[in-house]
Amino acid sequence: MRHAMLKLGCGVALASAAVLALTGAASETADSFDVRTQIGPNPVLPPLQQYLLPPMHLAPVIGWKPGETPKVPAGLRIQALATGLEHPRSVYTLPNGDILVVESRGPGIEPVTRPKSVIMNWMESLVTSGGSNTGSNRITLLRDTHGDGKPDVRTVFIDHLASPFGVALVGNDLYVADTDAILHFPYTTGQTSITVPGDVLTPLPGGPIDHHWTKSLVASADGSKLYVGVGSNSNITENGIGAEYERAAIWEVDRATGAHRIFASGLRNPNGLSWEPQSHALWTVVNERDELGPDLVPDYMTSVKDGGFYGWPYSYYGQHLDPRVQPQRPDLVAKALVPDYALSSHVAPLGLVFDTAGGLPAHYAGGAFVGEHGSWDRQVLNGYKVVFVPFSGGKPNGMAEDVVTGFLDDKGQAHGRPVGLALDKTGALLIADDVGNAVWRVTSAAPGQAADAR
Amino acid sequence: MMNSGSSPPGFPIFRILAAFPIAGFCGALVTDIAYAATADMLWADFSAWLLAASMVAGVLAAAAGVVDVIASRRLGLLWTAWPIVIGGLLALALGLADNLVHSRDAWTSVMPIGLALSAATVLVTLITAWTGGSRVARINAVGVRP
Repeated sequence: MRHAMLKLGCGVALASAAVLALTGAASETADSFDVRTQIGPNPVLPPLQQYLLPPMHLAPVIGWKPGETPKVPAGLRIQALATGLEHPRSVYTLPNGDILVVESRGPGIEPVTRPKSVIMNWMESLVTSGGSNTGSNRITLLRDTHGDGKPDVRTVFIDHLASPFGVALVGNDLYVADTDAILHFPYTTGQTSITVPGDVLTPLPGGPIDHHWTKSLVASADGSKLYVGVGSNSNITENGIGAEYERAAIWEVDRATGAHRIFASGLRNPNGLSWEPQSHALWTVVNERDELGPDLVPDYMTSVKDGGFYGWPYSYYGQHLDPRVQPQRPDLVAKALVPDYALSSHVAPLGLVFDTAGGLPAHYAGGAFVGEHGSWDRQVLNGYKVVFVPFSGGKPNGMAEDVVTGFLDDKGQAHGRPVGLALDKTGALLIADDVGNAVWRVTSAAPGQAADAR
Repeated sequence: MMNSGSSPPGFPIFRILAAFPIAGFCGALVTDIAYAATADMLWADFSAWLLAASMVAGVLAAAAGVVDVIASRRLGLLWTAWPIVIGGLLALALGLADNLVHSRDAWTSVMPIGLALSAATVLVTLITAWTGGSRVARINAVGVRP
């Protein structure tokens, strides 16, 4: 680690020799662990560790210089669809091909409950795009009338939102998931801005605290239901179990009435809700718990079963108990489901899209792209890329492959960090890059192929 | 006449500052016990604040103590007042470890190691205050004589 890294200790800024020895041992463990053993249906789960100073390694944000882009393998091509955005977190393609970019900032209302809060807030400020500009919490519309991958129309589509993330269109009804409510807006094809205020379909758990604030959104195929990811209000119940009411769950919301029920629970921070094209099952990517070691707990993607419980906070990967949770709930742990496919620890998956449009090489058809925002609480950085997980018969089938990399430079600094994913109308892969303030567009390198798919 | 040189272990600033960690570490032990009994995060948060404040005051007290001794030009006092020096440093080391354990999340921020460290810190702090205090009182009694 000879490069300039930002190593930060949590707690009082005095470290005894014993404490330093402990963290040193932790980084050795991280260096020798093969993260690939934690990718797939049966991840290796090392014994849990708890620390005086947990291993941490933040990637300082340096942004993209003009002309710099992430890297893609042979057969693919990447270009900036838009730059100069304000913290874009997700992307959504409307039926006419217009692209919505959700620019969003966290609500920042998490109270200081103990000395650690002060340190965590400060660390978080180091790895976001920072700045005092307020031109976020809005949706920007991009239109590419010439089909050359260079949008010629760029408008503010909806402004003054509250930490928005998910978007879903059903007919002429547009739904935006703010952190505290699903808003409904009337939409007509071709519209480039909506100025009427949205009406609330369903309030969602927002403040107080609002630790995991991104609300992913997807509509059922028949349009009657909306599914919303609601993340937990803590890492592991340190804000009290009462703060977790109806959180760490996927809600099913009736579009006609706004009534909701808990579709699945025990999902610490579910995002990227998507329909798997063959099984038509609902899939999600989930950010698992922190501070049990550099290689626990692996983040994952999974099909979501109606009524399924996936462990959080009491256990992980089935019945592995988390000792930090009291009182425990053996009745819930007993029925905790094991997720389908581990992505390895602390990669922070926030985006998921299945390649259903045929615009990319056939190798990717039917598989899943996952946007991994990247780690902070392990010595060796993990994630900071978009990976591809092949699928067959409605299930993951094989090792994850790196598709879009280069978000980190060789000094461990972050040009950008991938978040939400979508396909555009041509089937190209779109990537929201929240600290690079860009949207990237990945197409097939053979231009004829992409054109044929239109 | 005020003459800090002739009554070095009187350390008024040291004694004022040292009162904070004594009270704070004792308070954190009480709130740790309350958390262990209720699992209500409110108590664990109290402990974390008390431990952090005790640590800051403890370090300031140690600094004031060193400044007092140096100002008195009687470095031998560090030897004479060894229970305060050793006990104080041990209490600070335990307090630091306890702060770090309390920066964990939820139950294991207190149970069982946090509670054990809080109890050990209180024990060391009280023994130090007791033995060190009586020793300093004797030195003072001698020191103030003309």
